[in-house]
Amino acid sequence: MNFGTSEVNTWCPGCTNFGILTAAKNAFSDLVKSKKLKAKDIVSVTGIGCSSKIYDYLNTNGIYCLHGRDIPVSIGVKMGNPNLEVIAFGGDGDVYAEGSAHFLHACRYNVDMTLLVHNNQVFALTTGQATPTSEDNFKGKSTPLGVFGEQMNPIATALVNGATFVARAYAMDPDLKNIIKKAVMHKGFAFVDIIQPCITFHNNRKDMEKRMYKMKNHNPKDLSAAIKKSVEWNYGDKGKIPMGIFYQAKKKTFENSWPQERVWFKKKRNVDQLSLFKEFE
Amino acid sequence: MDYTVIVGGRAGDGVAQAAETLGKTLTRLGFYVFNYRDYPSLIRGGHNFNVISFSKDPINSHREKTDVIIALNQETIKLHSKKLKKDGIILCEKGINAKKSVQIDSEKILEEIKAPKIIRSSIFLGVLMKYFGHDLKPLNKIFSERHGKFLGLNMMASKRGYDELKGKVKKIGKGRKGKRYFLTGNQGISLGSIKAGLDMYIAYPMTPATPVLHFLAQKQIKHDMLVMQMENEIAVVNAALGASFTGAKAMVGTSGGGFALMGETLSMQGIAETPLTVYLSQRTAPGTGVPTYSTQGDLKFALNVGHGDFPRVVVAPGDAAESYKRTAEAIYLAEKYRLLSIIISDKHIGESHYTFDNIPKLKKVDIRNIIKPKKDFKIYKLTKNGMSPRSVPQMGEFVRATSYEHDEHGYTIEDPEMTKKMNDKRYRKWKFAEKEIMKMEPLTIYGKGRTTIISWGSTKGAILDTMRDLRNVKFVQINYISPFPSKQISKILKSSKKVILVENNVTGQLGDVIAEKTGFMIKNKVLKYDSRPLTKDWLLPKLRRLVK
Repeated sequence: MNFGTSEVNTWCPGCTNFGILTAAKNAFSDLVKSKKLKAKDIVSVTGIGCSSKIYDYLNTNGIYCLHGRDIPVSIGVKMGNPNLEVIAFGGDGDVYAEGSAHFLHACRYNVDMTLLVHNNQVFALTTGQATPTSEDNFKGKSTPLGVFGEQMNPIATALVNGATFVARAYAMDPDLKNIIKKAVMHKGFAFVDIIQPCITFHNNRKDMEKRMYKMKNHNPKDLSAAIKKSVEWNYGDKGKIPMGIFYQAKKKTFENSWPQERVWFKKKRNVDQLSLFKEFE
Repeated sequence: MDYTVIVGGRAGDGVAQAAETLGKTLTRLGFYVFNYRDYPSLIRGGHNFNVISFSKDPINSHREKTDVIIALNQETIKLHSKKLKKDGIILCEKGINAKKSVQIDSEKILEEIKAPKIIRSSIFLGVLMKYFGHDLKPLNKIFSERHGKFLGLNMMASKRGYDELKGKVKKIGKGRKGKRYFLTGNQGISLGSIKAGLDMYIAYPMTPATPVLHFLAQKQIKHDMLVMQMENEIAVVNAALGASFTGAKAMVGTSGGGFALMGETLSMQGIAETPLTVYLSQRTAPGTGVPTYSTQGDLKFALNVGHGDFPRVVVAPGDAAESYKRTAEAIYLAEKYRLLSIIISDKHIGESHYTFDNIPKLKKVDIRNIIKPKKDFKIYKLTKNGMSPRSVPQMGEFVRATSYEHDEHGYTIEDPEMTKKMNDKRYRKWKFAEKEIMKMEPLTIYGKGRTTIISWGSTKGAILDTMRDLRNVKFVQINYISPFPSKQISKILKSSKKVILVENNVTGQLGDVIAEKTGFMIKNKVLKYDSRPLTKDWLLPKLRRLVK
């Protein structure tokens, strides 16, 4: 199954978001083909921004949310029907700025969903302002004097807040498909920070590619090793960028924390009014 | 003839529980009871009190003059002794400085029966039963239904209290025969949501909506629903939309501040047409305001929340029974028409106990608006009446919901033609929904007369009680404020000799809405905005002056 649509794509020609779109479609296809996933169960939930235009290009169930709210909407989908496979797409603006509180709590809840962040370290659709992951000395249209403060380190944040699958990948890496597959198959909150340089407003692609390296001899079951690895690059400096899966663990998921029956839309009830009011007589 | 009891003490003294027990006992004795709760925003100490007014005839609000004061602290005397009627009595803790009081050494009694302090109020309920000329049977029955752990101690305490009072008595007799219900507005909201088949209640704690969260959380297993507290109101309302997308019937509850945070997502509801119900329990604003007190200050906010033009139902119950009925209706309307339904109530309705004879009748409210889709399913199909079919994931076809303007399939568009078509579709649907809502008693008229009192929501109780002492006056309560019953209201107002607007807010917000919808400007406004609800004692002289 091809998960493409016939909608006109409005990303810039050569945009690295195409890499994520292709990887996601192929990951879904592979998983459906190998019967690990049913197409009808997939729900793509997107925020607002260039990243989230992917809503129109993916032929799945979908919700195009407000800016920053892809995570709570995804959680709601899982509350409504835990049998659905939710993949949330958002930008660094969505997840690390506008929706940062939701990000922390989703890690903590260990919701069984996948969060793919298209991290281009810039607000692109609004034509080039700084985000919480814009690097040192970045000068955006709204910050001609340069960015201030520390960058947010989403990998470290996810790790210390309880996410059970944490990875960093590159939009143009053919291996992205495999990481997405692993994230989707993971039971629990799977978070992938995808480096996705914006070729129009933040074209550091070549520089970033030079600095990325795949983690070897790293044990993803070791949380402290993962935390140590996560601070090797803090999104601000010009250091080496470790790529791959930082951490993966099994933990009780959000959906398994209530005993009630799970799928609500099929439920039929017949509430008796008199017995409902009995205790108030 | 009505009676009033004030119970006052520090927070943590069990005042609210004692008042509820008393109210229920009196209800079972055949009285109509209104129980008003007044508490500050703190956990221990301070002062809080309940006013229990009751009568053989229906009573809908509390009185300010009181027959009995039960004082568990000195503050109660200081604040309320002026309100004691001439033949009234004070029952208080030993050592409290009060005239005309019966002093009870509850500490000694508690020590003798080896009971914890929380039992103390039961001693006073025993005293009160004797004063009212009743035995302890109905009180003990309620203890036995409620306090499993402390049943014996409560019964012993009330017996000791009963024996303490010698000689003084004010026989209240018995009220009317028949079964009656005694519950708060918040309990009514909760029961209404269960009746409508709610699957999911999501909230962040905020006074005065929190009791619904607590109540439903306790009942979630029994009624097979899911109750969830999330990190903030923005998460709450977005999760509700996500759940609703999958076909779960979802409701959120909050007060003004939380409602403000939800605003953007309520606007998304307007374009996504994913059913959603919001319980808005008003408290005194602006800002944090007077957080545990009541004001009707959010009417225009509810009518206008969210950017852009989109329809929403705004329904305002006036008491506990209506809270039940209107909540069930709100959920039904949201589901049927893929609308946003807002139930606007307040602290006064939410946390006061009301007595009523009959459970309101409801048509079938527990519906599911979900179809099994055919090929080329269009979730935003342009139809004659604006109603697009709704389906959910796993039913056969992919489904979409979006905050962007969209085509019939839910893909993003920016062209002017489709934008206009979708706006027109949403408002065709609204017209269609309006037809049904106009048959759901959008307004209620009480009494007959050429002078018209017009209001909405929690003022109903005080207005009804006040009307008994006025002649040639009718009261029009507006229940559905969106859609607004313009034609009927316009007709009533034009044919009235005099129109008086009564509201519990600063500017007379309903008056503005009436002006907007009918062109009728109301000159006579009786507005109370001291963060306390209306009472008959306050309202009667004001209305008398105007009605003459």
